Amino acid sequence: MVIGGPVAQRATSASSAYGVVLDLIEGLGRVPKGGTTTVDLPGAGHDRGLELVGAWCASNGHEIVSVDGPSVTVRHGRSPDPFAGLDPRQRPGFRVWVYTNFDCNLACDYCCVRSSPKAERRAIGADRLHQIAREAAEADVHELILTGGEPFLLNDIDELANSCTAHLPTTLLTNGMLFRGGRLERLRRMDASRLTLQVSVDSATADIHDSHRGTGSWAKAIAGIRVAHEEGFRVKVAATLPADHKHELEPFHEFLDTLGIARDDQVIRALAHRGVAESGIELTVESLIPEVTITADGVYWHPVAADHADQFVTRDIFPLADAIAEVTRRFVAHRRAADQVAGWFPCA
Amino acid sequence: MTEPFLVGAVAYSPNVVPIWEGMRDYFAETSTPIDFVLYSHYGRQVDALISGALDLAWNTNLAWVRSVAQTDGACRALASRDTDLTFTSVFVARAGTGFSSLESLRGRRLALGSRDSAQAAILPVHYLREAGLGDRDVHLTRIDSDVGKHGDTGRSELDALRAVLDDRADAAAIGINTWQAIGRGELLPGAFESFWTSPDYSHCTFTAMPSLSTEKSDPWVANLLAMDWENPAHRPIMEMEGLQAWVPPNLEGYASLTAAVREQGLTPRW
Repeated sequence: MVIGGPVAQRATSASSAYGVVLDLIEGLGRVPKGGTTTVDLPGAGHDRGLELVGAWCASNGHEIVSVDGPSVTVRHGRSPDPFAGLDPRQRPGFRVWVYTNFDCNLACDYCCVRSSPKAERRAIGADRLHQIAREAAEADVHELILTGGEPFLLNDIDELANSCTAHLPTTLLTNGMLFRGGRLERLRRMDASRLTLQVSVDSATADIHDSHRGTGSWAKAIAGIRVAHEEGFRVKVAATLPADHKHELEPFHEFLDTLGIARDDQVIRALAHRGVAESGIELTVESLIPEVTITADGVYWHPVAADHADQFVTRDIFPLADAIAEVTRRFVAHRRAADQVAGWFPCA
Repeated sequence: MTEPFLVGAVAYSPNVVPIWEGMRDYFAETSTPIDFVLYSHYGRQVDALISGALDLAWNTNLAWVRSVAQTDGACRALASRDTDLTFTSVFVARAGTGFSSLESLRGRRLALGSRDSAQAAILPVHYLREAGLGDRDVHLTRIDSDVGKHGDTGRSELDALRAVLDDRADAAAIGINTWQAIGRGELLPGAFESFWTSPDYSHCTFTAMPSLSTEKSDPWVANLLAMDWENPAHRPIMEMEGLQAWVPPNLEGYASLTAAVREQGLTPRW
């Protein structure tokens, strides 16, 4: 009967649609802010009563929680803003991630999406990516981020990247190992003024990096960074480190300084217990601020779990604005559920 | 460490707790910290103030008038909400009834709120008498839903409005806050319209006994008046308490209620 909130109260019914509002005022007066009250709508004037309740709530700063047949439940005051305290850049849809493909020339032992040379490609494809870029720009997305797998395995990666940069600033994640021959030519055909390359480097020396990503991979990545710089690209470096490697951070930063990577472009991320990683931090939709992520299979909550059913959102990529809205809706629901739990267990 | 002032308030709603916890937190950062005690009704609170158990009481206008009566005028009003200085009573009827003044109530049924509600009972009767309408001229339906809390819950005023909707009364007298809560008739079009609004009068005020010297109370009042609507830390408390600024009290605004209490023979206590 009573739904949610620290304290809930059911008010008595009145005989008319107008009386419902009086019931509501009285009921809300008996519960603290954040609590809910449930009032019965009159049978004959159900729709009119609900309309009046909606207008009254909008005017007085309260919120309809649910309508259940003849009853409407209203929260005293509005729910806390789920985005309060969040950096505006953390709002769902501020940026959109796209997995261009899942196959990779490496088989990193912590890959969160199980990419490897044996992984199925599952390419997003030029048509879909172009539509994503166009709709993202219309949906007030500020940045696109392309990742894989290794995107440079795709023969049309230059066209893919250019279809994105034509609409939005774009970052392309790569292991940086393939900038030669035809792939170097594709890199050169990309728009260096709109595209940032983010290269994965896990350590200041080859040993740790190569132990996870394969012998010789560190040297090729460092060489790739130099090539990218020579071609005029801004390069960010992202390192994936387990928590117990924190002591190596400063020498690592100093090393990246020598490569000409700006400090703001030196991204350190914790190892996630996802994909083929045997350890790492546990990330769930309840604990993870979403980053709208598109794959050939649909929309996911976050790029770190774009190969995991628990963070699958919807198969419908388009309209992209709807997909972003769905992620946002779920995020708000999780936040409010967490707030309610906090309300129910204030002593815990 | 400065001993906190003990402030009394009446628990008319669960939200009184966060209001006064917020006030306590605010004053903890000032030179005049407070703590608070909640009472179940104003009679008990005024007794506590006069006995010295409280330093300050957050009183309704009736509690202030009764405090004055019981102390021969020795108690002091320290501060009010901005909204307390422009309080009014509103007479409402079903839309379309054609009532245009208090005289329209002659021979009709008027629903009043709880008998200790200044805005919904005591002052409305006073205004009727000022308009030349005696006890036999208007049939009064008293709805004593929340006696002891001086109408703070608003419940008796909502019951008075229900009486109008259910045709158990032709009109109701309510406080401006309840009239605003139902949208001044605009949110419930076709339900109610107001046909007479009283002159402004004063409502709540912080009340102190002479034992609290001005030397002690002045810094506290200064700190209270420093609460700032534009300050995000202060605003939630002020919103819950229903004000945008704390202001000095307007004692002249209690004259009508003082007269009404005298005319109607209301006891100085409870």
